[in-house]
Amino acid sequence: MAGVTQRENLLVRMQTEVQEALERPDRRWGMVIDTRKCVGCHSCTISCVVENKLPPGVVYRPVIDQEVGTYPNVTRKFLPRPCMQCDEPPCVPVCPVGATFSRPDGIVEIDYDQCIGCRYCLTACPYSARTFDVGHTYTEDTPEQQQYELLPNYEYGQVHRRDPDNDESPIGNARKCHFCLHRLEQGMLPMCVTTCIGVANYFGDLNDPSSLVSEMASKPNAVVLKEELGTKPKVTYLV
Amino acid sequence: MTAVTSPVAEPLQPAAERAQRAPSWAITVAWVLTGICTALGLVGLVWRFVGGHAAANYGSYVPWGLWIAAYVALVGASAGAFAVGALIFTQRRREYYPIAILSMLVALGTFAAGMTNVWLDLGHPFRAYKLMLDTEFGSVMGLMAWLYTAYAIILVVGLVATRHGNVPKFLERFAWVAFLFAIVFAGAEGALFGVVGARPLWESGITPVLFLVEAALFGLALVVAAAAVFGMLTKDVARRFGLALLALLGVLLALEWAEFSTGMSASVPAKEDALRTILTGDYWWVFWILHLGLGVVLPAALLLWGRSKVAWVGIAGALIAMMGIASKLNLVLPALAQEEIEGLEDAFHGSGLTTSYTPSAMEWLVWFGTLGLVGLIVLIGRHFMKGAHGTPKQPDVQPDDELTASEADPSLQEANS
Repeated sequence: MAGVTQRENLLVRMQTEVQEALERPDRRWGMVIDTRKCVGCHSCTISCVVENKLPPGVVYRPVIDQEVGTYPNVTRKFLPRPCMQCDEPPCVPVCPVGATFSRPDGIVEIDYDQCIGCRYCLTACPYSARTFDVGHTYTEDTPEQQQYELLPNYEYGQVHRRDPDNDESPIGNARKCHFCLHRLEQGMLPMCVTTCIGVANYFGDLNDPSSLVSEMASKPNAVVLKEELGTKPKVTYLV
Repeated sequence: MTAVTSPVAEPLQPAAERAQRAPSWAITVAWVLTGICTALGLVGLVWRFVGGHAAANYGSYVPWGLWIAAYVALVGASAGAFAVGALIFTQRRREYYPIAILSMLVALGTFAAGMTNVWLDLGHPFRAYKLMLDTEFGSVMGLMAWLYTAYAIILVVGLVATRHGNVPKFLERFAWVAFLFAIVFAGAEGALFGVVGARPLWESGITPVLFLVEAALFGLALVVAAAAVFGMLTKDVARRFGLALLALLGVLLALEWAEFSTGMSASVPAKEDALRTILTGDYWWVFWILHLGLGVVLPAALLLWGRSKVAWVGIAGALIAMMGIASKLNLVLPALAQEEIEGLEDAFHGSGLTTSYTPSAMEWLVWFGTLGLVGLIVLIGRHFMKGAHGTPKQPDVQPDDELTASEADPSLQEANS
């Protein structure tokens, strides 16, 4: 197609696959991250912060900068770390009030209005994928609280307005990546996938063998983090 | 024969009656310390609700801090103190009943303080009711919510039943159930940590056993300290309790040795790092000075060389009880202070995204406040608990326990025959 880059082709294909998957009740969302293509630009981190209006101290997708080898034979590699959306999530059974659970589509959800903020799930997650929203805002120590910080987010398809004076959810809650569920349900890719400059992220329905993400997840160089724990992450890395 | 009822044989002289009178300065000091702690706590409480969690230093990578350590230490001590009281009732050692009733009061104080700590630690404290209404029983924490409720009910029933100094028969009969419950309760508290597979330092079969031993140790130590303050320890009682404390200290050391020696040799880097953090990290002094030095070695020395001296045993008890928090800090924090993925801490910066943790001023103030709460409940509660004053009334006499005069007096038997 004239004028369309390979990047755009991949994104359009994935988005089409997401829209098709929405028609299937047995969809199982998954992500593959090609660490060889990640350049450590952190655009995924920032776009996630913007999309979900994350306050200071809350991060869903940090990119870990790792140094491999010893000088002078040193290389850097980058490891984006979203929530692994485990099939056997250790964070779920520890929740004393059932505020976190696995959805049929494989995403581990947090019910903000049910969460009591005990943070047991934070201690149980072996990937530190959950963060605690203590209620900070970026402009809290400035003369004027900026209104954009009070705008609602749409996580899990619900409207949660941020009100630091009342400590209402999501303040006081555990928070984590949810594969931009609110976007998925509108047929859009997660924000980190859309904004990745090197198309290092592949996303789609793992139950669809013809999908790009399934194709990538079955590569021989695909690995998951901390496989020995048996958590069965749905985020796979190509190394 | 006309059955002439007679009271049961005179109970043994209550231990407290034989004890020296409570030194008034000790109780005055207890009141002053309680007052200071309560005042500090009130400031902290206001700060907690005005400033929210933003005023605390725990966050995302170290999600639990001083309050959770205090909570497990206090609730463990509560279970231990309760077990001491239940054991005395089980054995029907009436001479110890005043101390048993004091134990229950101490158990109530520490339990209330522990619960206050964890309640304030919740992100949404006013949703705590969901723990009862929407309990997930597969979660140890969910299960604990119900165990806490049952425990609180048993504790309050015990205290209400003994408030006039009587120890009803049912309490003696069912005390063993309460004793077993205290053991299950303290062990389950350990399971709260033992089941977290993501933290190698916690995930150990030893953890619940360690919690049990620590609960018994800290609970007994606190009871001994309180009894010393109120002048309820005789030399004999001090010696017996001192020996029990020494034995528990020995078991604790053996368990800790097992944990450290296997953990350091098991080639699990995360666990080894956590243990190394305890031994040589920034807070090495918490283990070596507060826990081992002031919480084990010094009390052990006091108990060994002064076990028949009431003051020495009381001081040893106070030291062991106070250093319980050091022991729990060494459990909670080092496990959380390890990066779960190397480099995570530097990947993104922000409040709470660090593995370093030092309690904030607000956290300390609230913690002091909860100590003040223990003092208030024990000091004020003792005014309403006649049985905890060393002058307990005789146990309720049931008809089937009544002795006939002939049974009570052999000379009448001879006359009847």
